[in-house]
Amino acid sequence: MNRRLHLSTPLRRTALAASLLLAATCSHAQTATEAELARKLDQLAAELASVKAQLQQMQQQRAASPQVTQAAPAAPIAAAAPAPVATSRAEPATVLSSYGEIIYNRPTRHSEMAQADVRRFVLGFQHRFDAKTKLVTELEVEHAVTSSSDPGEVAIEQAYVEHQLAPTWAARAGLFLMPVGLLNENHEPTAFYGVERNFVETAIIPTTWREGGLQIVGSFDNGLTLQTGISTGFDLTKWDASASDGRESPLGSIHQELALAKARDLAVFGALNWRGIPGLQVGGSLFSGGASHGQAGASARVTLWDLHTRWTPGRWDLSALYSRGSISNTAALNAPLVGSATLIPQSFDGWYAQAAYKLWTHEDYVLSPFLRYEQFNTARSFADLGPGLTPGAGATERAVTLGANFQVSPGIVIKADLQNFRENKDANRVNLGLGWSF
Amino acid sequence: MAAGSLKWFVAAGVAALLSACGGGTGGAPAAPTETALSAQASLGEQIFKDVSLSASDRQSCATCHSADTGHAGPNDLPAQFGGALLDQPGRRSSPSIRYLASNTAFHFDSEGTPTGGFFWDGRATSLQDQAGRPFLAANEMANPDLADVIAKLSRAAYAAQFREVFGADIFSRPDDAFARMTLALQQFQREDLRLRAFTSKYDEFLRGKASLSEQELRGLALFNRADKGNCAACHPSAKASDGSHPLFTDFSYDNLGVPRNPALAHNADPAVFDLGLCAREGGDMAARTDLCGAFKVPSLRNVALRKVFFHNGRFKTLKDTLTFYVQRDTNPEKWYPLNPDGSVNKFDDLPAAYKANVNTSEAPYNRGPGDVPALSDAEIDDVIAFLATLTDAVR
Repeated sequence: MNRRLHLSTPLRRTALAASLLLAATCSHAQTATEAELARKLDQLAAELASVKAQLQQMQQQRAASPQVTQAAPAAPIAAAAPAPVATSRAEPATVLSSYGEIIYNRPTRHSEMAQADVRRFVLGFQHRFDAKTKLVTELEVEHAVTSSSDPGEVAIEQAYVEHQLAPTWAARAGLFLMPVGLLNENHEPTAFYGVERNFVETAIIPTTWREGGLQIVGSFDNGLTLQTGISTGFDLTKWDASASDGRESPLGSIHQELALAKARDLAVFGALNWRGIPGLQVGGSLFSGGASHGQAGASARVTLWDLHTRWTPGRWDLSALYSRGSISNTAALNAPLVGSATLIPQSFDGWYAQAAYKLWTHEDYVLSPFLRYEQFNTARSFADLGPGLTPGAGATERAVTLGANFQVSPGIVIKADLQNFRENKDANRVNLGLGWSF
Repeated sequence: MAAGSLKWFVAAGVAALLSACGGGTGGAPAAPTETALSAQASLGEQIFKDVSLSASDRQSCATCHSADTGHAGPNDLPAQFGGALLDQPGRRSSPSIRYLASNTAFHFDSEGTPTGGFFWDGRATSLQDQAGRPFLAANEMANPDLADVIAKLSRAAYAAQFREVFGADIFSRPDDAFARMTLALQQFQREDLRLRAFTSKYDEFLRGKASLSEQELRGLALFNRADKGNCAACHPSAKASDGSHPLFTDFSYDNLGVPRNPALAHNADPAVFDLGLCAREGGDMAARTDLCGAFKVPSLRNVALRKVFFHNGRFKTLKDTLTFYVQRDTNPEKWYPLNPDGSVNKFDDLPAAYKANVNTSEAPYNRGPGDVPALSDAEIDDVIAFLATLTDAVR
């Protein structure tokens, strides 16, 4: 039915326009995250559709021949039961989703650096092929306008197929979000507090971090979710010792985003999250993969792990996270770069603690002030290169963010906050933001 | 049970992966391997060494681009002599012609920086274009015209080979023959391994097969550091992300205010100035007076073999050259003559109108009289030790 195999660019545009029109008629959409809940919802919806079909059949039969009582259901119903794909579907097979952020930043000491930006505009669609298989995609435009002389960027954030192998196990293949931290898989503006994403999960964990590969997702009835797989990794040959990108986010400066990615060295990853008690999530992840692909003077491996927790008792929303990354063999990689501005660090880490409180609600309005304290160091240590040549460790930055999220309607949020830094005081700023997600 | 077999599959996959990845030997691109020259390049090699193609019968391309000095000037004269009697003085030193295969024609890049081009002022658009010009230059090979060059070529030992490759009647069409001759020279320069060897100690270091001594490593750090030598700003030393080794030039131009060289014949007339980029043949850059005094950034590969430095051959040792870089502004009296009133005539190789074009903003030329130079004497020796690692191993 879906014959979008080899479309030329004009036809692809027409297809996108058509799906947007379809979306306009759809009243219901779902986000690409919260896999476990989504899968259960899918199952429930399919079962409901099947039951409705059975009911309709029985009502028709009773209307047609009232003397027939609880006879054995006719073949169509028996056929319908094991295959939850009902002909009368309750929801469409193709569902459009979107999220976006419009942001205003104003440094308090340097108002001349104030800027406003359509930070991201994301369109995604999911298409369900059958009860067990769906395609999940997301397309992102950053900074509004993209061209050779404009600052914007267009990127594919997700493009994977998910297939339900068994009630507890699903497999994903393609470009997917890495199951790391609290923000990476749930990074919509309605999912986090504060206008900007927190620094630990941008500078240490390079949100939005996606890799290509194969992932197995296990969702158990005791609340445990296991995610593990094989994927592409980072590329250390991209490290630019003369630029500052590596100091801002070591892994962010060498990520490949599956764009002509070097793939001789693959990575393994695993994540375990437990949501056994309602309102509590505890979890962690580990990622490790080679990053030199036989092209650097020495072979090196990137490892990143994290531990996180989130607890929402009553009106509170408390969370904490610690993450640490390390790169092996950096002495050999840095030797040809000695003296340059930004050498490859041996380790980098950060942690944060955040508390938010649902202060005021009225119908759909929700006001949630929050406070977040974070510490991170993107160059915690450097491998020894010899006296006078080894760079000193970077300073540990401390950021305090105080602000509030105001939900206008489920899926629309207005945010404001104040950020204060210990090291780079020039970056102290006020932020305002508008976000949507559906 | 489905879950059990799935777990086995995942475990097997992980085991296979872990045995496959990691433990690489760091196989960075090896030095180019020897392959035979193509027919055109082999002709080009013979033309390159053929002294009979000059008016003096004693000068070939190889005469001024000697393999012993990295295919640069063979002696410490600021400019070589040419002409029919080898008595016509040149105006600029002979640059090294190694590592030019990736250079492009002159253009302004996306930021407006002049880039590319062949010769000190970028006036030739390709290796082929550059190769043809010395044949007809009066102070070089000094042939009266193109037809004369082809007549000499037709009498060369390899003329039959030339006919074989380019056609039996090629010598009857002098313009075409000249174009083929310069094409052959270009092809030789692109293919010959001595002109793109990448066999220096530094190349082996980048491949992970050699290590630099402590002094050489200190020199590399001083070379890279933005607050010390800052040499890497114009002479990049890092591998590109595609794995290619650095050429130690960004093919751009700079005006360093190099002192006037009285040893050059044309400098005997105080009204004559070699203005480089803005005054180049063809006059296409005449309006860009902000570029007067700018010359090409040469590659530093094999720099330790060279006998003269800068476009006017003003310095004969690396020590003097590097000391000039860091003491040009802290001790100008060491480098420039004094005016009658006792002040230093800084940037004396530029007319007063263009002295403002000199680079005084980038390190290490951003200091003033009395400041400490960016590199001490010992640090200069460290940098020189590093520069010595850029000499290709002799094959």
